[in-house]
Amino acid sequence: MKNTANNKDYALLSYHHIPGVHNIDIFERAGGYETMKECFNKEPEAIKEEVKLSGLRGRGGAGFATGVKWGFFTKDRNAKKYLLCNADESEPGTFKDRYLVEKNPHILIEGMIISAWALATQKGYIYIRGEFYQQAMILERAIKEAYAKGYLGKNILGKGFDFDLYVHRGAGAYICGEETGMISSLEGKKGQPKLKPPFPAIKGYRGLPTMVNNVESLAAIPWIMRHGAAAYKQWGTEKSPGTKLFSISGDVNKPGVIEVPLSTSLKDIIEIHCGGMRNGNKLKAVIPGGSSAPIFNAEDSYIVKMDYEDVAAKGSMLGSGAIIVLDETRNMGDVLKWTLEFYHHESCGQCTPCREGTGWLESVFKRREKGQAHKSDIDLLDKTASSMRGQTICALADAAAMPTQGMIKVFREELETYVSASTKK
Amino acid sequence: MKSPEKSTEKTPTTNEPFAFSAANLETYKELLTRYDDVESALLPVLHLAQEQTGWLAENVITYISNLMSIPEIKIKEVISFYDMFYDVPVGRNIVQVCTNISCSMFGGREIYQGLLKHFDTGYLTPTRDGRISLQKMECLGACELAPCMRVNDDFVAITDLTSAIHKLEELP
Ligand SMILES: Cc1cc2nc3c(=O)[nH]c(=O)nc-3n(C[C@H](O)[C@H](O)[C@H](O)COP(=O)(O)O)c2cc1C
Ligand code: SF4
Ligand code: FES
Repeated sequence: MKNTANNKDYALLSYHHIPGVHNIDIFERAGGYETMKECFNKEPEAIKEEVKLSGLRGRGGAGFATGVKWGFFTKDRNAKKYLLCNADESEPGTFKDRYLVEKNPHILIEGMIISAWALATQKGYIYIRGEFYQQAMILERAIKEAYAKGYLGKNILGKGFDFDLYVHRGAGAYICGEETGMISSLEGKKGQPKLKPPFPAIKGYRGLPTMVNNVESLAAIPWIMRHGAAAYKQWGTEKSPGTKLFSISGDVNKPGVIEVPLSTSLKDIIEIHCGGMRNGNKLKAVIPGGSSAPIFNAEDSYIVKMDYEDVAAKGSMLGSGAIIVLDETRNMGDVLKWTLEFYHHESCGQCTPCREGTGWLESVFKRREKGQAHKSDIDLLDKTASSMRGQTICALADAAAMPTQGMIKVFREELETYVSASTKK
Repeated sequence: MKSPEKSTEKTPTTNEPFAFSAANLETYKELLTRYDDVESALLPVLHLAQEQTGWLAENVITYISNLMSIPEIKIKEVISFYDMFYDVPVGRNIVQVCTNISCSMFGGREIYQGLLKHFDTGYLTPTRDGRISLQKMECLGACELAPCMRVNDDFVAITDLTSAIHKLEELP
């Protein structure tokens, strides 16, 4: 197999090789915004149908079908509603959305305009994490360019359709990536999630219908509308059609972002796209879908195909497509400790099982530092994690529990040694 | 949520009233036009204020509270929820060091601790010359650069503590 990463024949990074493509004229010369113009001659329902047929699954982590979610949205075109792009990208290991928009902001804007036309949203916001300051500026400039061309604002291209689009910067809180936390944050509050249902599509920002989609989901729309759902399905599997961005970090020679068809093997991703293992070391484990995804041992890592169903069948999840590669020199105790510190720090504190649970999980590692942890603490970790699942307002508690239990399943002995090695007798 | 580590040195808040500069007042008005209610503009307005003054002191909060008709207590809650809003004085340059998985694999934690020691300071506490505040952060969304650091508005790739110190010594 050849190295097809960033291949211009794919959907999302197809403009990435063009110098200066963040500039609207260069983007348009390469065919950008053509699909948007064509879409304004299509019935909104026809666009929704095409997206549904493409089988595109939300790229923010949960993998829920975008077309199906769009189907839950009110069809009343006059009702006030919002399109909210999730560019919070805070799941540890994830940096694909950043890579996509910093080089090619217009692919997202084009996708949002088409989506807005299909969904009849009058206003849109790109909620981008505070740390992505330069990327927010790139998007701001690109939006200005699109306004100047008449692609945003009032009566777009004389079609009697209004759509305003703004960038909204977060300020450093992982939980704002969760869609209802994001809505609270956009409302000018603490980014605390709200109980679902009602789902944002029914009752979201300011109590109004709000469609929340990830950057990568929205950026896939122009390609799908240009080439059709059938063409999109040439890639991937029946249940995981299309291409996906993966962000790979850790012990590989070439960490970075690639676009490959879903169902590409993890082995190819590591060995071909990422230039193999760093220092020629042996692979020990892989976190396949961001820090909340249960870890794979080397054996599973070498046989898994990166699509939603195969990763799930092997006990983990594709999540945001953040692949963290760990070699033989890594201690899984360290990895779990870093993971759990993160979730404790990021729990918004509303739900007791999450606030207390993430604290308990982390405390085992704090005790270890004082020489007060025991082998049996691994069972305690397992039990605590299990009691946190499905009990809370949002999925952060589960996101902390899943990798904990996954790690114990695969590396129990190593964890037991890790916590008890320095135990004072 | 904000790190439980708190900055120790709180300098007394200045009594001088704060106000947006003329240019920022224009920006403020433009910001309001983006939202369907005033409250939604709170985060961008806090960013704007912080750009002008460095951190969000009492007088800044009072000003924003009056300007936007949002109770001070609510603004304080919001500020304390987000890692990037500072309710303590900070140095001229904010340096964020990532200590999440990918960066810790390449020494992110040792670099953070090493920098605290080198600059003889603590979490967010400005260095004595007021030049730098160091902040330990979770994944910054640039793990391919691991170990990764943000200096003010930009990502910076470093290799180790020495290269990090070297980069920071160049700061104004
Ligand atoms: C704790 C938590 C963090 C999340 N972080 C993100 C994120 O950073 N980016 C994102 O797009 N979705 C994130 N999500 C998923 C969103 O809630 C939401 O499902 C998604 O933005 C919907 O877009 P999609 O259907 O296009 O994936 C997170 C969910 C949870 C529970
Ligand atoms: S599960 Fe955790 S992060 Fe989510 S709402 Fe409850 S306390 Fe907040
Ligand atoms: S782990 Fe450091 S930037 Fe992601």
